[in-house]
Amino acid sequence: MEEPSAKFRRLHPLTFVHYVFLAIVGFVFAGVSSPDFGGNMQRNSLIFAILYATITAPYAIAKYIRFRYHVTSDELVIHYGVFKRVRRNIPSERIHTVSIERNMLARILGTAVVKIETAGTGEAEGDLSYVGVREAERIRNLLRTAQAPDPSESPASPSFFMPLKRVLLSSVYQFSLGISALLIGVFFQLESFGIVDGRALITWLVEQNFFSGAIEDSWLLLVALFLLVTLVLGWSLGFVQNLIRFYNFRIELGATKIRRRFGLITLREGTLPYKRVQSFLIRSNPLMRLHDWHRLEMQTLGLQSGERGFQPGMPFAKWTEITALAPQIRPFTVPETFMRVSRLTIRRRTLRYSLLIVLTSVIVSLLWWPNALWGLCLLPAGWGLAWLQYLCHRWAYHDGNLLIRRRVFGQQFWVVPVERFQAFEITATFFQRRLGLCTLIVDTAGAGDLRYPRIIDLKREEADRLLAELYDAFQLEATW
Amino acid sequence: MQILDPAIIKIWTIKGALRWGILLPVCTTIDVVFFFSDNDMFLPGLWTGLLSVVCLAWILIIPKLRYRYWRYELRDEDLYAIRGIWNRVQTTVPLRRIQHLDVAQDLIEGNYNLARLVVHTAGTRSTDVVVPGLPYDEAVQLRDTVREFIAQYMD
Repeated sequence: MEEPSAKFRRLHPLTFVHYVFLAIVGFVFAGVSSPDFGGNMQRNSLIFAILYATITAPYAIAKYIRFRYHVTSDELVIHYGVFKRVRRNIPSERIHTVSIERNMLARILGTAVVKIETAGTGEAEGDLSYVGVREAERIRNLLRTAQAPDPSESPASPSFFMPLKRVLLSSVYQFSLGISALLIGVFFQLESFGIVDGRALITWLVEQNFFSGAIEDSWLLLVALFLLVTLVLGWSLGFVQNLIRFYNFRIELGATKIRRRFGLITLREGTLPYKRVQSFLIRSNPLMRLHDWHRLEMQTLGLQSGERGFQPGMPFAKWTEITALAPQIRPFTVPETFMRVSRLTIRRRTLRYSLLIVLTSVIVSLLWWPNALWGLCLLPAGWGLAWLQYLCHRWAYHDGNLLIRRRVFGQQFWVVPVERFQAFEITATFFQRRLGLCTLIVDTAGAGDLRYPRIIDLKREEADRLLAELYDAFQLEATW
Repeated sequence: MQILDPAIIKIWTIKGALRWGILLPVCTTIDVVFFFSDNDMFLPGLWTGLLSVVCLAWILIIPKLRYRYWRYELRDEDLYAIRGIWNRVQTTVPLRRIQHLDVAQDLIEGNYNLARLVVHTAGTRSTDVVVPGLPYDEAVQLRDTVREFIAQYMD
């Protein structure tokens, strides 16, 4: 049935300001990365700007005019598309998450982005960029009312809140090399555009002679200095990134949904139904564990952009806080004892690391004979790592949940409810088969390609027995 | 347990040859360039020869080994599959977790009247469990059996 067109609304008129801002960013990036054809730089830039505006401005206007939406308590209807016209109806009961995001510009302009996600999709199925703040609230409330008319939802007090002191403390434990790489990339882009002169900067640094020529004498010192700078940069950027992301983090548990709100520059606000939580992942590293700090993440069906299926539940919390809050979302208890995997895992892992070290040393020694052979000194470290991995890898099937603890440095603790299993896998590599070992994997919806629950190096008969037990429990618990 | 149709060996051989064949002109070009340059670092025809040996070994041995280790079975409440040469994988997909089913066939498979049964779940690793090398009618029949089973339990 065709909805009366009068009911349809357009996006906020200030959307154009966002378009212009994005166009400027796009223009700068295009200008920076475009090849230098020589000639008058300013004239070329002006021609490029006019061409850019001539193409993008009519498209932006057409896009704005074509985009219309209509929200009722039953569904969200969106009409959009310039060349290909799309009419999308999203029934309220299929909606998984309604989130409101406000970046810095949106907060200045009083606008917001409403993102609507449904189960099983990799991205937001409905994206209203941008609407007014009140309109965003109205849309969310309308869709929320239809999803679960539960009066107990609204007056929830924060179940977990991170005051500034804790956010700052959590930021101390963060380290990010990815951002450093990004910043270095931006630096080179700026250098290619002539804004920064890298050569002059390095010359100035050398002229200052901070280390009184010590660097000239020893390349080892130079490597140590490089590592130190990388570490300090990585830590500083990790600190800032974490502070911006989790500033003012609060989570409220309703009767059927989780409500979260966080962020400094981009304010994220959204709801998540309990039934969409597939598993819990509690992460930590040795330093955080030493001070009893952990991070709770919830693996969900819909993948919110940037989160890759893992949504922050408690970014920085004590173990007791996590074990008090998380079971309210999906019940679980942590057993007293955990099972270990086979001790043969040490032998298999040692063999793997030794092969890697020997091969690398041999290949590098072809270019750097005989110094590269010193790499063979790392062989005992390979054994040590294998032994630590054995100690850190444990599992338990308890109270309808499979619990797996693994990894030494980026420690992971998985809680996977048996009714959430999607498929079961037993894999065995050539070396595992020789030692009578295998890996048990339980596939769940929304897990990452690299981050998924698995028990590595179980004895074959033990894996078969556990699989049978899990499968029987799954048959009883899982619904069609 | 069921085995695949032996014609799948030919299909994998053809597909392997096509995949490796793309690299052959690249290696030949490198060899020709080195041959006419002053650089005497590599023997003439080294790269083409090496690639040809690897390619031949790959397309003659790997499909046969893959076929040898592929087994599947539609059991009471799940689809069970074993495959893999180096890394042996056993997958159990409960039928109640299947989102939808496809019978797929490309040009080469069509020539041998074979098809693939593609089982989609909401999982991440086993999102698509593919049973290759099924005679087309058998693949359709398998799909219908699973579909009926799911429909029966859904009612």
